[in-house]
Amino acid sequence: MGLRLPAPVHKGANWLRRLAATTPGVIVVIAAAVVVLCLVTGLVCANELGDKTTRRDTTLDRSEPLDNAAQNLYVALSQADASAATAFLSGGIESPQIRAQYQQALADAADALATATAGASDPQTRRIVGEIDADLPVYTGLVESARANNRQGFPVGSAYLREASGLMQKSLLPSAAQLTTDRFAAVRADQRAITGAPWPAIVLLVLVLLGAVVATRILQRRTNRLFNLGVLAAGGAAALSLVWIVAATLVATGAVDTGAGGPTTRSENLAQARILGQQARTDETLELITRGDTTTTEADFATTTGQLKARLIAGGGPGSPLLQQLSQWMAGHGKQVGYYNAANYPAAVEQAIGTAPADSAGTFTDLDTSVRDHLNQTRVQLRGQISSAGDAWIGSAEGTLVLMVIAAAVAVVGLWPRLKEFQ
Amino acid sequence: MKCARLMRSVAVLAATGLLAGCGASAAVPNTPPISPVRPLPPDSQPVTPSANANGQCPDMTASLPPTSGAIAPDSTMARILAKGRLTVGVDQNTDLFGFRNPSTGQLEGFDIDLAREIARTLFGDPNRIELRSVSTAQRVPALTNHEVDLVARTFSVTCNRLNDVDFSSVYFTAPQRILAARNSGINSAADLSGKRVCVTVGADSADRLFALHLPKPPTVLGVTNWTDCLVALQQGQVDAVSTDEPILAGLAAQDNNLHVVGNPLGYEYYAVGVPKGEADMVGYVNGVLDRIRTDGTWQRLYDADLSVLGPSSGPPQPDYSRR
Repeated sequence: MGLRLPAPVHKGANWLRRLAATTPGVIVVIAAAVVVLCLVTGLVCANELGDKTTRRDTTLDRSEPLDNAAQNLYVALSQADASAATAFLSGGIESPQIRAQYQQALADAADALATATAGASDPQTRRIVGEIDADLPVYTGLVESARANNRQGFPVGSAYLREASGLMQKSLLPSAAQLTTDRFAAVRADQRAITGAPWPAIVLLVLVLLGAVVATRILQRRTNRLFNLGVLAAGGAAALSLVWIVAATLVATGAVDTGAGGPTTRSENLAQARILGQQARTDETLELITRGDTTTTEADFATTTGQLKARLIAGGGPGSPLLQQLSQWMAGHGKQVGYYNAANYPAAVEQAIGTAPADSAGTFTDLDTSVRDHLNQTRVQLRGQISSAGDAWIGSAEGTLVLMVIAAAVAVVGLWPRLKEFQ
Repeated sequence: MKCARLMRSVAVLAATGLLAGCGASAAVPNTPPISPVRPLPPDSQPVTPSANANGQCPDMTASLPPTSGAIAPDSTMARILAKGRLTVGVDQNTDLFGFRNPSTGQLEGFDIDLAREIARTLFGDPNRIELRSVSTAQRVPALTNHEVDLVARTFSVTCNRLNDVDFSSVYFTAPQRILAARNSGINSAADLSGKRVCVTVGADSADRLFALHLPKPPTVLGVTNWTDCLVALQQGQVDAVSTDEPILAGLAAQDNNLHVVGNPLGYEYYAVGVPKGEADMVGYVNGVLDRIRTDGTWQRLYDADLSVLGPSSGPPQPDYSRR
């Protein structure tokens, strides 16, 4: 069954067919094809390459700060829980220092949440941040209930604190950990988007080049001239654009080091190390609060610190003091376990939360501060690399568009005299 | 620069045309609602009627005769003496019997004092003791795994537990009753029909509730510590708590809005738990309990720790008829 076209369309098609059979017709068709292809290519290039610099800006303005805020949030929340636990373990009315620590941790969490909220553009992130926002006031409410009961000497205070800690360990911290993992993936995806080759633009530019070759061959047969300067120049502009894009891709890819020693992987390792450190520190204090059989929590502690050590080796770089600080803290933990197993509970508590330099509270803070400092250094490098990768694309969007508009114009200018010969 | 921006705008406009439909959706965003946060005490779980509810067994509370005098060199007591301290599984969350005093951080209560009396007899020093916190459900495993030498933790003798551990003579008898808010309308066991009741996992309090065969069986929430039940009650997650009266009295002492109601659903007989097969230790502990009952220590401890329960009718009479 043939397609029955409306009469005007049918007539127009016939006219075009007849026109294409003539040399001037061929020239017109070539000119039109080159103009359309060049302009479309120019627009696609401008769009694709413009996206690269936009992506650089959103990465630096939103994704990367959110990535950093996510792990800060985890640490701040964990520190709030640790301060509440320390206040409980120390007995009586908590010291102003511990209260201040708790309040500072909550302020840090609020700070990180603000950044996280600003960067929450996808539904998954929005859901996680919403859940954290909903959990946090409930958590602080439970902690204050615990305080109020403790002040009246009611043992139920410890049950409120246990429920608060349960909410923290089962809901808040897993949410923050999920956020951290998601944001690592997002930053990696951003890096791939910034450094990746703009394939649609490249394919179209190659098409323009092929089109120029085909047009040259047809014109050779029809006009007996070796080259048409206009078509040649259009092809040259396309080739120049292609070289520009390939060079920019190579520079951008070279700017970002996503390998094992690069800041991307190192900052991931260090951020995970901070989280693992907080988890192990929680095990250390919770087993004193539970005051029961420590076999399970000690096994957890050993597993977590094992992973922590691996992350510190991967993230610390040569000559970092991290491993030494880890072994200092773990030596303190060994003392705590020794006291506990020797039924010297007060000494075990003092070792865990005391204020002497060798006490675990101090050695753990030293380790955490060092990891944080390392993390801040790698963060500077990471942002620098993303910025450089984005810089490789500067001007390419506008440049390729201009080149392709020029290509279209010179093709028309070059073909016009050939068409005029038939007047 | 201006030219570039113009070009850029043209490009963006064109791209928008090309990629129409790829931008932000005009549809109203469908964001899933965040549900309210109602945390339960950690590790809480629903409790269903247990398959092997406590049956009857003859002479349940009967223990071995007390011993006193010199400690044989190969006895359990000699091993503990060599270790240098007595390890006792206790509670740190049950007011009156075993709890952590929030203002001092020290463990206090009737069971703790009792454990110290055993250490005093053994070592001549009530502080040669290691207090290990065990949850309700951990009491039997802690003894069978020999994590502790003794358990003194509102540990009542039941026929099921007698299969796994041994018990000293009974040192306290407690009726099971109900704790509810004063304005809750719950005044007897019959009022628990269709209500939510909290117990600790591993206690046998729930079986008595199911044995009531109320028109609508109560929904029972199991938690780790008795104070977790108080938290659940204060948060409105349960309507009542049901267990031994002294435990409930300890909870009621922490909240003026609560009171203990109802006739006894049954009686619990507290004794010191001893690992199975340590008959010498059972006899030794019975010897200590015998001294406590007769020399006025029991009454002194009652007055110090349990006076909120009202005047005592004296320690329960020991039964040494086990063979």
